[in-house]
Amino acid sequence: MGYTNNRDPQRVINLMQRALKKFKPKKVKAIKKGDPDQRYNPKPPTGGLVLRVRAKILSGYEPTENKWKKIFQSSISRDNLWLTQKEHSQLVKGEFPEKLAQRLARFHLVDNTRGEPPMWRKKEIKNIKIDLKKGRLTGKAHLETEKKNRGYQADLLGVVETKGGKVTRLDIVAKGLFWGEGTYTRNAPKGKFPLVVSFELADGKDVADAVPPQGSRGWVPGYLNN
Amino acid sequence: MNALALFKKYSIILLAIGCISVFLHAEPSSPSGLTVEEFKKYHKELQPTGKEAWLSIPWKISLLDGQKVAGEEKKPLFIWAMDGHPLGCT
Repeated sequence: MGYTNNRDPQRVINLMQRALKKFKPKKVKAIKKGDPDQRYNPKPPTGGLVLRVRAKILSGYEPTENKWKKIFQSSISRDNLWLTQKEHSQLVKGEFPEKLAQRLARFHLVDNTRGEPPMWRKKEIKNIKIDLKKGRLTGKAHLETEKKNRGYQADLLGVVETKGGKVTRLDIVAKGLFWGEGTYTRNAPKGKFPLVVSFELADGKDVADAVPPQGSRGWVPGYLNN
Repeated sequence: MNALALFKKYSIILLAIGCISVFLHAEPSSPSGLTVEEFKKYHKELQPTGKEAWLSIPWKISLLDGQKVAGEEKKPLFIWAMDGHPLGCT
């Protein structure tokens, strides 16, 4: 009935209005669901946790009058971080698992505010140290490419609360200086700029909570066992 | 009271106040370089306000779920699709 690959809201509205004029309601049956191919329908690990992850650049952009650039320059990104059942249990015990620290750094301390970012390779993790003591989480991260053209150095601070053997609160903030950009995240601020990344427990009420982490695309085991 | 005695007296009081405030504080204290105030500020600042227009749309992330609702409500399907990560284009 209609199609557009343009993101301009007015063009999308025009498309919908044209389609609605053509639309003639008729009785249709719901298509019966078959068995989904799990390769294309990954679910969070049973007994694990999902964290909402958001990032924002605080400053550093050149002023612009371009309406699209303005949107990207003030955007807050969204992704999800998955934790395994074992990691959930370790957090309840008051430990912050090393694998989780590595995953958090590689796939979530990224600048995804202008599009899909390059994730960090293992060797680009210069340092990631996260300590959990009596529910207080502190940490430091240093990520940098070999060419030194992209990097992030940040401090982390957070709080973990548990009840009845389950994590009931897991809030983390990472703040530091980021530099560089990726193929699909062009037009980053020049030089080093402040980037904040926040984490919070997902409760499943947001439809986006069900979306697999970007870093898990095509290979969930690789993401979880990084 | 000499300066040393004053220092001892007040340093103990300050230390006690410090301990109590740490004990009572439900939020993280930090040797990381981030302050508790920054932690609270940024964690709140990065939350959606709830006023975003796209949040007012009852999106379905399953095409079949959308098709079912469209059939029930006799409405056309509107599909927003891209070839990358659904959350990746911010």
